[in-house]
Amino acid sequence: MKRDRLLSLAPFVGLALVILLIPLPLTVKPVTHVVTMTADQFAFDPPVLRVNYGDRVRLTLQATDVVHGFYLDGYGIETRVEPGISQQIEFVADQIGKYRFRCSVSCGTLHPFMIGELVVNPNLTFARAVGLTAVILAGTLFYLRRFPPREPREHTTA
Amino acid sequence: MRLMSEKRLDRFRLVEGRGELLAMVALILVVVVLPISVLGYQFVLRPALADVRTIDVMAAAPEAGGFQPDAIRVAAGETVRLRFSVPDVPHGIAIGPGLDLDLGHVDPGQVKEVDVTFPEPGRYTFYCNSWCSPNHWRMRGTIEVYDPQTPEALPASDGPDPVLESLTARGVDIDAPHETPMPPHGRPSAARGVDVVKQMGELPAVLTAPEWRRTLSPAKAWEALVTAGLSQAEAWDAVAYLWLAEMDAERLKRASTLYAKNCAACHGEAGDGQGVAARSLDQHADMNMLEEPVAFNNPSTMLGGSGEIYYAKLRRGGMGTGMPSFGPIFTPDETWMLVDYLWAFVFDLDPNQGP
Ligand code: HEC
Ligand SMILES: [Cu+2]
Ligand SMILES: [Cu+2]
Repeated sequence: MKRDRLLSLAPFVGLALVILLIPLPLTVKPVTHVVTMTADQFAFDPPVLRVNYGDRVRLTLQATDVVHGFYLDGYGIETRVEPGISQQIEFVADQIGKYRFRCSVSCGTLHPFMIGELVVNPNLTFARAVGLTAVILAGTLFYLRRFPPREPREHTTA
Repeated sequence: MRLMSEKRLDRFRLVEGRGELLAMVALILVVVVLPISVLGYQFVLRPALADVRTIDVMAAAPEAGGFQPDAIRVAAGETVRLRFSVPDVPHGIAIGPGLDLDLGHVDPGQVKEVDVTFPEPGRYTFYCNSWCSPNHWRMRGTIEVYDPQTPEALPASDGPDPVLESLTARGVDIDAPHETPMPPHGRPSAARGVDVVKQMGELPAVLTAPEWRRTLSPAKAWEALVTAGLSQAEAWDAVAYLWLAEMDAERLKRASTLYAKNCAACHGEAGDGQGVAARSLDQHADMNMLEEPVAFNNPSTMLGGSGEIYYAKLRRGGMGTGMPSFGPIFTPDETWMLVDYLWAFVFDLDPNQGP
């Protein structure tokens, strides 16, 4: 009876171990992303930057036609880029979520649509912690449903 | 009954007449007085009250008309207030040559003004110094400073550039290709060259003539040094040292700023001819660049040319090649500074010389 109970939890223990130990392609240590981003009328290239929480981003911004700007929401980073004078921006992605970056210099008719996105994913340790919590929660629920604790009072009277 | 109603009608007519009059007055006020007072303020009262003459200049991209107006006449000694605004995209405003007048960028909705006084008659250029369109460098206007004694006389131009004149007199074609017969392997270094030159003692005759650094090409100097007994590599190092010898940290810094602002978009930040404007050549058929910008870091062409040829090309510009003419906006000294700076793309500077 007792062994049954423990055995029923085995899949959850296994899953927890997998989550903890599996070498996912994501690295645990924050990395530095070195990116050259061009700004021309009316887009950034690459338009989306995907990094993990804690990563360092080293951006070289180049304007290829006219003067553009770069303003990163959430991080409050702003710079002005003239063709021929590339600008270096460096920051640590310390806020998880999606942040827009936009051109901050009125560069022409479609200027308001000159927008890109920085996606900061939670990193591996964070993902593992979330996964582990989920497994523990599921295991507990499962256990409680399968072997509901008997009311001690009822037990004694019966 | 009838009488009453007629009387009333009369009264109505009277009121109607008054109403019309009132409407008329209001109309005149709106249509005539208002514009006159607004325009009068703008064009009569304000200029009359202002202590200086104000000239409003609209700075639009070259495709949209460039500077309006693009020619300004002022008397020598007169102070004028130039007020710049932009309708379309950001521009940069500077006035030169040799005035050190840079207003920085003007964004749409912004106004920047400057009071200027030109003591002597002459010709100046106000120009955009922020890349605003593929034709950006065409965005220029002239300031003609006349002598108040003889306002009708055209201002004497600064006179022909002696370097350009001397080249023409000697029949030198500054657009002709110039190859380096035996370009160096690797980058010649000024730091190594110092010792080579010290050990040589006496330099070959061509390198002691005045102005040699400007009239001689590095390739010619190299030949003379090899003839004098140096190895090929030593000779290139010596040339690197000799060519960069006049460079100091201050000139280097000024030149690199000028280069970044005016040249890098075409010739590349690293002097490799791969500037962003050149790169997007196909995207911009309207670029009007008929030739690729020159790579200054390519020894097989760069070292075959002389300083004065590059100076002349800079001041006069290309013949419809896309290379702008910088004579109207740089002083001769600034031009030489830039030419000297170009050598630093093929030669390694001595680290003691600056950054
Ligand atoms: C709009 C593009 C453009 C800009 C801006 C520009 N250049 Fe050029 N330049 C060219 C092109 C194209 C050529 C090649 C055709 C020619 O020689 O006329 C050239 C040629 C030259 C040459 C001749 C090189 C040789 O081997 O004969 C020199 C020197 C030069 N540029 C210097 C400069 C400097 C210094 C600046 C900045 C003050 C500058 N250029 C700005 C396009 C540009
Ligand atoms: Cu933009
Ligand atoms: Cu402009």
